[in-house]
Amino acid sequence: MNHPVREGEMKQVTLRPATATTPAPGPGLAARLRRPRVLAVLVVSVVALLLPQLLAGSDVAVYVTLLLSAIVVTGLSMLMGYAGQVSLGHAAFYLIGAYTAALSATHDIPTWLGLAAAPLTAAVIAALIGIPLLKLRGHQLAFATLAMQLILLNIVGQNEWAGGDIGLQGVPRLTVAGYEFASTSSYAYLALGALALVVLVARNVIASRPGRGLRALATSEVAAESAGVPVVAYKLAVFSLSAGFAGLAGGIYAFYTGYVAPGSFPVLLSFEFVVMAVIGGLGTIWGALVGAAAITLLLQQLNELGTAEGMPGYAPAVMSYAVYGVLLILVVLYLPRGLVPSAQGWWERRRAAKDGGGG
Amino acid sequence: MTAADPLLRIEDVSRAFGGVYAVRDVSLSVAEGETRAVIGPNGAGKSTLFNMISGHLTADHGTVHYTPATDGGVGLPQRIDRFSAHRRARLGIAIVFQGARLFHRMTALENVMVGAHARTRHGFLSAALRLPGHHREEAAITADALAALERVGLKDWAHRSADVLPLGQQRALQVARALCARPRLLLLDEPASGLRAGEREALAQLIESLRQEGLTMMLIEHDVAFVTRLADRITVLDLGREIAEGTPREIRDNEAVLAAYLGQESAA
Ligand SMILES: Nc1ncnc2c1ncn2[C@@H]1O[C@H](COP(=O)(O)OP(=O)(O)OP(=O)(O)O)[C@@H](O)[C@H]1O
Ligand SMILES: [Mg+2]
Repeated sequence: MNHPVREGEMKQVTLRPATATTPAPGPGLAARLRRPRVLAVLVVSVVALLLPQLLAGSDVAVYVTLLLSAIVVTGLSMLMGYAGQVSLGHAAFYLIGAYTAALSATHDIPTWLGLAAAPLTAAVIAALIGIPLLKLRGHQLAFATLAMQLILLNIVGQNEWAGGDIGLQGVPRLTVAGYEFASTSSYAYLALGALALVVLVARNVIASRPGRGLRALATSEVAAESAGVPVVAYKLAVFSLSAGFAGLAGGIYAFYTGYVAPGSFPVLLSFEFVVMAVIGGLGTIWGALVGAAAITLLLQQLNELGTAEGMPGYAPAVMSYAVYGVLLILVVLYLPRGLVPSAQGWWERRRAAKDGGGG
Repeated sequence: MTAADPLLRIEDVSRAFGGVYAVRDVSLSVAEGETRAVIGPNGAGKSTLFNMISGHLTADHGTVHYTPATDGGVGLPQRIDRFSAHRRARLGIAIVFQGARLFHRMTALENVMVGAHARTRHGFLSAALRLPGHHREEAAITADALAALERVGLKDWAHRSADVLPLGQQRALQVARALCARPRLLLLDEPASGLRAGEREALAQLIESLRQEGLTMMLIEHDVAFVTRLADRITVLDLGREIAEGTPREIRDNEAVLAAYLGQESAA
């Protein structure tokens, strides 16, 4: 077996006799399909792929919003769940992605290049500002990221090159290899593809060496350090990764709506992402998806209510804040781990009780 | 490393908390392959000393030199007292903390796999893209972690959540995690405290076999019989100061030690 260890370290501790390990053959396809996890992934994927066909026009737009939120929340949930840091300004990275895409597209740069640049720009900016920010303890990062978003909103709102308050209009449609993404459902598929990519990256990271380091430092930074986990660098990496995800969602958003303006990235949007992550359950991919779906659908209902006749113009925003507050309190009180981990725990207990009773 | 260079050399190290010295002007050298016990009454500064070696505390004064392995197996002593804890871990220093420090929401196997961090390198990009080298490294880490679990008698627990382990097994799990790092210097801070007689004996046998393999260890322990059996040399701390150092026999006959430490124990 080929260990990535230097010679000098090899001789010290023998962990096991020198026998070759043959990997156990994997379970067959039929057996794998019967696992609840695999089955769930399959069912959700099929439904997700069919939805743009089944939904009515305006509902497809809600679906795109849901998918874009899920992309952002998957990263934010990793940041909050593993690095133990709250970002109250994550919509800033969404903004950075959207403006990167919009600015490059309106400057005659190929749109696919603009889309690729969106997550990269957000990730690099997060890495740069993360160096000082992640040294902050406790809730200071939360306020620092919030401040950052306010500053960014101010910058794009004040500057001619960013379109000021009106924003950048007339962002061309995304074109990749001659195919133009024109319809709402084409953007639903684009967002779905991006979400699949983000989920795959998140899952790959969580299930491997850096992910184990992250999960370890979530429990004890001191013990993780002593095992060789570079805690500060890892926190910076998740911060940057989560910003990259947000940037990708922002890039798609810019091409989808065709314009970007400061008003599309309010502080309320950052709160919304945090609420989605907390409600779904921090540090789980399923939690991020469930949280994003639940809140998006709820907001949709509220929006219909808030914009009904006789309601004042500020009703939707006020109701959103109120609902976020109430939901957060309810989850913290009754489901402190969030929807998905609580449901998993309930399921496992039920199964354990069944096994105990039957066997 | 030349015969003259010890693996670890600590010189005049001090550390105070709020104006009170926890460790004061302590010097000691540990040769490669040696098992060094550190004993002393509660609050003597033993854990503080270990944490200054592993890097979780920095010394107010004094130096720590360590001779790391290099590609050829021969290294020069390096001053490590300003190095971060994870950098020291990469140089081959592993620690088992006093009290359980398990990683929650991870299986026993995953807990141990974290220990391999110090000597492996595939990072975020390689994991995200599932590069071939990443797969090979994961397989090697898994095999090493299973072997480490087997050595401490926890193989059957590998795929269970570490959160449900009984206390004795939690200790053993931490030892396995440290072993999975393939350390050159293993620091054990009261690994036997809270263990039952059978578990203590298993731990003593494990330490003995690691010693036979030539692993350098430092061991904090209150049970003098346990220490006498396992250690080549003993350092005695009292109120932050080193009051004696020698072979177990020398320490047993040392007047100052008897007065400060052993006297209390035998009187009790
Ligand atoms: N982080 C800290 N902050 C303040 N005081 C500390 C800290 N760590 C240790 N001390 C103090 O330093 C002294 C030495 O503590 P230390 O834990 O090193 O002793 P010890 O020899 O390991 O004791 P024990 O046998 O009880 O584990 C004690 O008086 C302790 O209260
Ligand atoms: Mg101690």
